[in-house]
This record gives sequence, C-alpha cells and structure tokens, in this order.
Amino acid sequence: MAATTCYNFKKTTVVPSAKDFVDIILSKTQRKTPTVVHKHYQIGRIRQFYMRKVKFTQQNCHDRLSQILNDFPKLDEVHPFYADLMNILYDKNHYKLALGQLNTAMHLIDNVAKDYVRLLKYGDSLYRCKQLKKAALGRMCTILKRQNQSLQYLEQVRQHLARLPTIDPNTRTILICGFPNVGKSSFINKITRADVEVQPYAFTTKSLFVGHMDYKYLRWQVVDTPGILDHSLEQRNAIEMQAIAALAHLRAAVLYIMDISGQCGHSIEEQIGLFRSLQPLFSKKPILIALNKIDIIGVTDLSDDVKTQLQSLTTEGIDLLPMSTVTEEGLFDVKKEACERLLAQRIEVKLKSRRVNDIINRVHVATPVQRDDKDRPVFIPDSVKEKKAIDDSISKKKLMRDYEEELGDDYILDLKREYDLKNEDEKYDIVPEIYEGKNIADFIDPEIMEKLESLEREEELREAAGIYDDEIDEDDDEYTEIKKKADLIRSKKKLLALKNREKKSRNKPTMPRRKIQATRSRLDKFQNMDEMESMDTSTEANAVSRKRQSLSKEIMQRKRKASRSVTRSQSRPRDESAFANPSQKARARILTKKSQKKIRFGALKGESDRAIPDLKPKHLYSGKRKQGKTSRR
Amino acid sequence: MATRAHFEKSCEIGVFSKLTNTYCLTAIGASENFYSVFESELAETIPVIHTSLAGCRIIGTLCVGNRHGLIVPSSATDQELQHIRNCLPDAVKVQRVEERLSALGNVVACNDYVALVHPDLDVETEEIIADTLRVEVFRQTIAGNVIVGNYCAFNNAGGLVHPRTNTNDLDELSSLLQVPLAAGTVNRGSDAIGAGLVVNDWCAFCGMDTTSTELSVIESIFKISGAQPSAITGHLRDTLVDT
Repeated sequence: MAATTCYNFKKTTVVPSAKDFVDIILSKTQRKTPTVVHKHYQIGRIRQFYMRKVKFTQQNCHDRLSQILNDFPKLDEVHPFYADLMNILYDKNHYKLALGQLNTAMHLIDNVAKDYVRLLKYGDSLYRCKQLKKAALGRMCTILKRQNQSLQYLEQVRQHLARLPTIDPNTRTILICGFPNVGKSSFINKITRADVEVQPYAFTTKSLFVGHMDYKYLRWQVVDTPGILDHSLEQRNAIEMQAIAALAHLRAAVLYIMDISGQCGHSIEEQIGLFRSLQPLFSKKPILIALNKIDIIGVTDLSDDVKTQLQSLTTEGIDLLPMSTVTEEGLFDVKKEACERLLAQRIEVKLKSRRVNDIINRVHVATPVQRDDKDRPVFIPDSVKEKKAIDDSISKKKLMRDYEEELGDDYILDLKREYDLKNEDEKYDIVPEIYEGKNIADFIDPEIMEKLESLEREEELREAAGIYDDEIDEDDDEYTEIKKKADLIRSKKKLLALKNREKKSRNKPTMPRRKIQATRSRLDKFQNMDEMESMDTSTEANAVSRKRQSLSKEIMQRKRKASRSVTRSQSRPRDESAFANPSQKARARILTKKSQKKIRFGALKGESDRAIPDLKPKHLYSGKRKQGKTSRR
Repeated sequence: MATRAHFEKSCEIGVFSKLTNTYCLTAIGASENFYSVFESELAETIPVIHTSLAGCRIIGTLCVGNRHGLIVPSSATDQELQHIRNCLPDAVKVQRVEERLSALGNVVACNDYVALVHPDLDVETEEIIADTLRVEVFRQTIAGNVIVGNYCAFNNAGGLVHPRTNTNDLDELSSLLQVPLAAGTVNRGSDAIGAGLVVNDWCAFCGMDTTSTELSVIESIFKISGAQPSAITGHLRDTLVDT
C-alpha cells in the first residue's frame, strides 16, 4: 500500500484572539518565573531576575506564534487541490498576508526582547530594571495586539479547515458533477453511507462531500460536488469553484450526471453545453455520463432532437448510462462501470511506472515443477467433506465461550476435559508431579502397561497353581505360646525403658565434683569410699583412683585443720567462691569491666535501658540554621 | 473457510496457536474467545487443545508439527508434555528436542510432506524432524530471512510467503515444496505470514486486521472452500496491483 500524505487539518491548535493571547503570555510569565526580588540584592542578581522575565516572555510568544505558523498548511507545500480549494474558500492573498504578519510580529518581538535585555545589563537599580522589564513586556503585548485581525481571521480559517472533508487526492476517487439539482447527492447517498442533504432546490450542496464504498475488495472515495452553472470561469462563485477545483486536480473517474427529465430547470441542450465547456477539465480522466431520472421519462421516450444530440456524444466515445436514483435502476451499473474504468487506467499507469517490480511478484503464482513421482495428496477428513455438504444449517454445538459466559466468574478452565484416553474414567485421576522427592515423569516407562499386564498374568498363574492356598493356621498351640511369650518380652522391655528414663531425668543442674562444697556427710562418704577403694582397685581406672586419692588427702588435711579450731569460719569470700584461682578472678574482673563499658559511657541504667532523655533538645530546634549547622549547633 | 481471529487484541494468531490436519493447539488466554473461534470450526473433526509450552503462551512460535507428529522444545515441562500426550490422538507422535534455536515454530515451516528449516539448525534436530514429522527437510531462507517459519505458511495445497520474495525464488521454493506459492501479506500489510496466519488443508485463520483482499488471496492460494490459485492472476489481479 503506497504511503500517502493524509490531509487532515483537525489537529491544528486553536488560535486565540489578541487579548487572550496577551493574557496567556503574561500569566504564564507570572506563573513560571520567580516573583520575589529585594532591592538590597546584588545588582547582578536583580538584573538577572528581570532579564529572565523578558526572555521568558519572548520565548513564549515565539513558541506560540511559530506553532501557529507551522500548524497552518503552507499553500506551496500542500497538494494543488487543497491549495486551490483554500484559495477559493479563504483567499490565498489574505491567508498568506495573515501568516506573514504573524511571522513579522514574531521577529519584532524577538528584537524587542534582545534590545531590552541589552539595556537591562546596564540597569543600576531595582527600580530601573523593573521599569525596563515593564517597557519590554508592554511593547511585546502591543505588537501582539496589533495582530488581532490576523489572529481572528486565522481562527476562522482553522475552524473551517477542521470541518473540511478528508479527501485523499491520490486514492481511487469517483467525482460526481453536473448542474444543480440533477441528483448528484441522491446518487452518493445511494452508493455510499454518506448522508448528504437532498432538497428540491438548486445549490443544496454548498461544499464538497465525501463518501466511501467498496468495490473489488478496494476502498473507493466518492466526492460529491456542488452544482455548476454554465457560464465563464470568472463569473463562477465560490461554491461552483470548489467543484471546478476538484475536477481540475483530483485524479478521478468523472461521473457527469444529466437530468433527462428536465426537472432541474435546465434543458438537455444546456446540460450538454455545460459538459462541452467543462470538457478540458476531463482530459486524461475516465469520463462517464449518467442519464438520471429515467423513472420519470425513459430514454426511448425522448424527442428525436435530444436523441441525436446524445448520439453525437456517443460517437465521440463517451458512454451514456441510464439510471434512476429513485428506483435504483441502473445505479450499480454506473458505479461498476466508473470503477472499472478508473481501475484499468490506474493499473496501466502503475505497470508502466518504475514500481512495477515491487508488485509483479504479488500477482505471480509459482507452480511447482514435478521433482519426483511421489504423490502428495491433500489430507481432508471425510467428516469435513460431509459437513460441507450438509452446510451449517444444523444447530450449533455449545462452545466453551458460551459456558464461560453462562458461569461468569465461576468458570474454571478444565484442561482434563480434552483428554483422549483409552479409559475414559481415568481422565480425572490425580497423578502427583513429585512423589517422595522424585519427579514422576523421570520414571515413566513407555512399556509400563505391558509390564504390568505380564505381572498380573504371572500372579494369576500363581494363584491358579495354588501357591497362596496354605495359609498359617492361627489356632496352633505352638503359635499361641510364642505369641504369649513375645507379649511378655515386649511389655518387660517397655517397663525397663521407662525405668531407665526415670533414672536419667534429673531436675537440677549438674555440678563438677570438685566445685561441690565439702560437707560433713559428703566427707564421711568419701572416707568410706577410700576404704572401699583400697579394697578393690580392679573396677576403676588407675588414673581416676589416683586423683581421688589426692582429693581425699586434701580433704583429710582440711578436716584436721577444722578440728583444730572451730571459732573461725572456713568459708571463702563470696567474690572468690566461683573461681578456681586468683588469675581466673582477675580475668573475670577485666571481662566484667569491658562488658559494662558501654553502659557506663552512656550513663545507662543497665543493658535494657533504651531511654532517650530528651527527644527534642532545645538547642537543636531553635535559632538560625546557617551553613553546616543542621546537626550540631 | 478463512476466519479472522485475535488473541487478546493481538493479530499475530500464529504465535498463539498451531493448526495441523489432525489437531489444533491454542494458548491459554484470559477468556475462551480465542479458543472458541477454533472450536466452532474444528471441534467436530479434530481435537482442539489448550496448552502452554515452557509456561508461555507463545506456543505457535515454540513448537512445530504436522499430521504425523509434534515437536516441542526442551524448555517444555514434563507436565505440559504429559498433557499434550494425553490430549492428542495416539497416531500423532510427540517428541521433545534439545535445540539451541528453541523457537521451533520460527525456524521450521512444514506441511505433511516437506519442511523448510533455518540454515543453522542442528543436524540431530533435522533428523528428528524428518523422522517424527515424516517429511523431507530443506535448509532454506525466504526473501533473505532465516526464520522461515515466521515468513511463510503452507499446507498440502499451496503456500503464502514473504511479500518481497522475487518471482525466481518463488518458483524455486514452489518446486521444492511441490505446492503452488504466492507472495503476499496478512494483517493489513504485515510480512510476518507465519505469525499472522494458521492454516491446514480445509481451514485457515488469520489476524483480525487482515483485509478482504488478503483474505481472498489466502483462500485461493490454500484452496480453501473451493477457491483456486488462478484467482490471483485472474479477478484479484487488478485489486492486488492497485493496493
């Protein structure tokens, strides 16, 4: 499909009136630039403040105006059809002048801004700078206000342009023309979906209208033109000129509609006359004359005089087709003929052009050269052929979409429904993906069914052979005896286990023996033990016994000491009692200090103290914050 | 019958479905609309199956198949494979391949007799394709494009290829495939034929954007509902030239 420029002027931005324009510009300056300045500021800063305002205003004006200039179509750049149409509707000179003036205004504003920015560089006080800014903005606004007329005119043009029909000058087009009131609009209403007003008076259609239709899988554009009267070009009014512009510039099939009944108020001679005067515009275009309103008077009923005139047209190679927009007789023949002719012409042109190579492969069907004797038939199941034969007159099966619609949110896609299994009731069997940490799929054996079958067969054979017949007789005496004994053993085992567990469980901390305080009773016990030890040495390891001997010696010494004096207590100081020797105690002290360091440093009550004495210390929240004084003042 | 369809507003339906003469796979979408398009046309003759491959919906791009078999990439999970196996008729072989070019639908195009493959495809994969799908395999490009599966579509009656394939290439490919070929577009001028179109011997589905011209070219080249390829050089010629 060829890329064609689309002429759509609906996107053009609105052109504000001069007053609105000034308001927009000034309020934007106010909103988007800083507003506070003080006279004690450095002069450089004051100058920069006002320069920014002037430059900003100028830039805004420039952007807005250049957007207007860009948005409006340039008459030299658009398709000649549109250029001509705009000339007719809006007057080319006026249009160009308006745009030209806006362009000049834009440059003037640029210059004003440049001058005042230069002056501002020499502003020596806030007051002077402000006056200069005021003057600059004032002059810019005056320049804009002077463009009021151009702006208003352009806004009108914009509104009109936006309402123009989108006519593509390069596509397949059928152009309908003729005297007013011959049935042009009725024709377009019949063959397209356009809804053009039809009234029984002349010049009902005052501008171009477009409708679209399909023919041969293609999109066709049908353009309805206002009626044309038969007078010289200079005398034609703007309405007629639109039709002329369309005729002159659109590469289209021209359909000249004639009213053979004469109801339109113009005789057939006049209509033929107009045709002749328009003929220069029809050159190189497929042309067709439609004789309309044959429901009122048939072509055969026309007077001989008229017939001969029409005959003369036929001899020039112009086809006359009768039709009636009321009865729709011959309407589609006319449409078909016009389309065919234009299509033939367009194809001829295209095939002669350089682009022919791009399209020639599209209309080529490559047929295979037989490379072997293998037959490669089409595979169409018989059911399809049968279905074709019956045609789809039978009531349709319910589709998944229907179920989904019926159930709404409750619908759940059931994938297993589609399963095609040998055994239908296996469809919904649950098969785990992973079983005991193993991927089931890894263990799938293609021959598993055969193996299972063979196993089952073997089992059957065994059963048949009677291998499972001689089962153990439970009433046997021997068996009951064994069972009783087994029960006894089990219960005894259980009891023993319980007892053991009881013994093991102790509800107090285990202490190393050498840390246990020596008490009288224990000492006595040890004494006994000593005696016992001397009696049997074979039961315990030598090392252990030696240790115990030395321990008992020590205890004996202590016992002797204690017996000497009972007035003094033998207990050690409490802070030493947990330690084996002084060095251990010293080390513990160091560790304690270390662990308390944080608490002491933070003046905390203990480990769990999370209190913050003052959440908002006054000194951090009052006074000025100058550089670097946010966290520490 | 050639039918227009779309998968969740995407016109590239070849990406989301796979159609052969014995089965049809469709992606699992948010609704059943896409599935039902296929279901209404095909459900009475062949199984229409919901599936995903490697957890993705782009099943048409990932797998390749014909009447005899289906080949899926190694990224397809065991469960998906089991599901497909359970759904397909026993006559259709399902095979998983280890292939670097894992988008098999893009790199292979086939009908029931011939397959075109990407020039860089593994030799092993080529053998598996030949065995599983029972086809002759040719390494080819289409209009200079290596992803043959994306730029052509053909059934046992005809084929449509990339619009920029020149006439010599068309003739050559046609002799290779032993079916008539035409160059054309789908989806209002898209050249991704394989992505925009799925076709078997009696049925075709294309994207929603496909124009009526494209649709009639498709029907005639694939000989669907009695149309003949001669229409392209006949009454469709004018239309094709002027678009």
